Amino acid sequence: MNPTENKSSCANEIDASLRVPLLALFGGAALWLVVGLVLGLIAGIKFHAPEFLSACPLLTYGRVAPAANDAILYGFCIPAALGVMLWIFARLSQMPLALPLVPVVAANLWHLGVLVGLGGILLGESTGHPWLEFPRAAAVLLFAAFMLIAVSAAATFGWRKERTLYPSHWFMFAALLWFPWIYSTANLFLNSNKVPRGVVQSIIGWWFANNLVFVWLALVGVGIAFYLLPKIAGRALANSGYAQFAFLTLILFGTWCGVPVGAPVPAWLPALSSAAAALTIVPLLAILIITIKTVCGACVSCKGGPFCFVKFGMMSFILSGILYISAACPQYSRVLEFTWFGVAQTQLQLLGFAAMILFGAIYELLPQVMGKPLPFPKFAKAHFFITMIGVLLFVVPLLIAGVEQGMKLHSGAAFADANAVALKFLRVSTTGQLLVLLGALLFAANLLVMAIQWKLGVIKCVIAYIKSPLEASETPATTEVKS
Amino acid sequence: MSAENPAAPTVTESAAPRSAAPMWIIVVTLLLLFLGGYYFDQHSGWFNAKVYAPYANAEKLNSFQPQSGETQRIARGKFVYDSVCGICHGADGLGKPGQAPPLAASEMVICKGVSRLAHIPLAGLNGPIKVCGKDWSLSMAAMGAALPDEDVAAVLTYIRTSWGNQAGPVTADDVKKVRADMGRNAPALTGVQLLNLPE
Repeated sequence: MNPTENKSSCANEIDASLRVPLLALFGGAALWLVVGLVLGLIAGIKFHAPEFLSACPLLTYGRVAPAANDAILYGFCIPAALGVMLWIFARLSQMPLALPLVPVVAANLWHLGVLVGLGGILLGESTGHPWLEFPRAAAVLLFAAFMLIAVSAAATFGWRKERTLYPSHWFMFAALLWFPWIYSTANLFLNSNKVPRGVVQSIIGWWFANNLVFVWLALVGVGIAFYLLPKIAGRALANSGYAQFAFLTLILFGTWCGVPVGAPVPAWLPALSSAAAALTIVPLLAILIITIKTVCGACVSCKGGPFCFVKFGMMSFILSGILYISAACPQYSRVLEFTWFGVAQTQLQLLGFAAMILFGAIYELLPQVMGKPLPFPKFAKAHFFITMIGVLLFVVPLLIAGVEQGMKLHSGAAFADANAVALKFLRVSTTGQLLVLLGALLFAANLLVMAIQWKLGVIKCVIAYIKSPLEASETPATTEVKS
Repeated sequence: MSAENPAAPTVTESAAPRSAAPMWIIVVTLLLLFLGGYYFDQHSGWFNAKVYAPYANAEKLNSFQPQSGETQRIARGKFVYDSVCGICHGADGLGKPGQAPPLAASEMVICKGVSRLAHIPLAGLNGPIKVCGKDWSLSMAAMGAALPDEDVAAVLTYIRTSWGNQAGPVTADDVKKVRADMGRNAPALTGVQLLNLPE
């Protein structure tokens, strides 16, 4: 038996099993990304021209801004991350995706859930809790879809041929369990018929937002990066002992963060949160060391390729983590609370870290899964540079604006004056948003053209099959999938 | 390029060299854990649901609360005790050897009636006396003579209910009565005179 031959035929099988589920997940995700960024841009423009679209109640700031965030996180980040995780689970297990039809159904269910949720927010049915704005119907759809995909991923993991575990496994499997836990808990508390009254709602909201935006995205992003970086660099992941330590400390301490220092709740909650945030330095440090040791000295010329995306993503992760920890520090928090600083940190986490790593992973895996190169490889490179500049222009001015605003508020200036300081920074950051949107359009173009080509291929194949004499084809099903 | 193994043939899909977490990062974790624990101890109020920032513990918070009735009298008594009596008898009520006998568990303090006890701060005490099985021979000035009745009552109530003492309260009327019986400028009592007084 020739092992390499066996392996490559196995790789073909894996790719074939993933083709339809991944197209279903990524295609919708790319659309939601564009929708989310357009909504975000509309929300941004309202700071410069308050009359812009103000006649239309659907597009007022209070509805557009949360809809934009949710479209990017729930519409793009989560389904794209699930797709990439399915691919990595199948690859690491060295076997085709288990129950391949389940994720296809789940992907459509998920995108339907996002559609219902965004429609709900824009029509004014938002629940009002940050990151949980989707009305109840959408939450049920999203939860069901996630569970279905998680079942498929867990089955692929459970039936794996290659039994040894890889560091990415810990992160990604934890992420599979984490989301159903936090999403069901938060929705049952805040979105059910019997809601706890008063400040408890905010505490649950902070816990959920921290666990989703900080811990879940970190688990997914770092898990994917720990798979992709060594793979593209062609070397082993450095210091897997650090990785285990980073994983354990991240899920242990990261989950306690999130309660703001100035929160009007019993003092032990913010005190514990701040102490935990300081301890989150440990996983950040470990992840930084692993990334540097894996990346430095690797002979990879990336020039805007997947490697660049993942490297930039990891850099953003460390930076956003440091900002997150510093915002939990009582001395800084007193200045930074209620300013643009928190918004900037969240956007860095979403766009600079999670989205960048997912872009890189999709550009890396899609040509392999589809068995052909990207339709516009130059778009992918341009996407990297445009998005990198866009994210920096979006986030850095907002960070500076947050600090200036906070200092002004702290020195006793009037609230309106302190707010006006941010205006010149907002101009730059809206330009950044525009660039990120441009990059997302290039990404969507690549993805959608690829999906359309695949669909045309399938249709051609079916027509050829119908036209052909009966005895010529014996296995129609496989022909259809492989084409 | 093989799909499983894009660049280096030596790296297989799930290979990552096994290594333990290094010592220094564990030390850093423990150090941060200690600092975090210290911060928590200083700022959390130890899970007390009534303590909110910027206050850090329940005692400090209670000192800002307006008080009423018995609690207020005891707090006033503690204040007077700390500024007048505590210098010799000690903040813990255990007295000081060669300076002042103990008040905690002292038979003079926890007796049933309050008249004899009230004489001590109002008139002063001179000469030998037996307290808690030990002989003392000192002199105490009439420290309470200049205090208003309410303060003397408060301080006596405080010493009768602190440090494990569990005797009843002293009212301002009790003190007023003793002062009236004693007359103005009464001389300091001796131990024998004191014991001859009714409880």
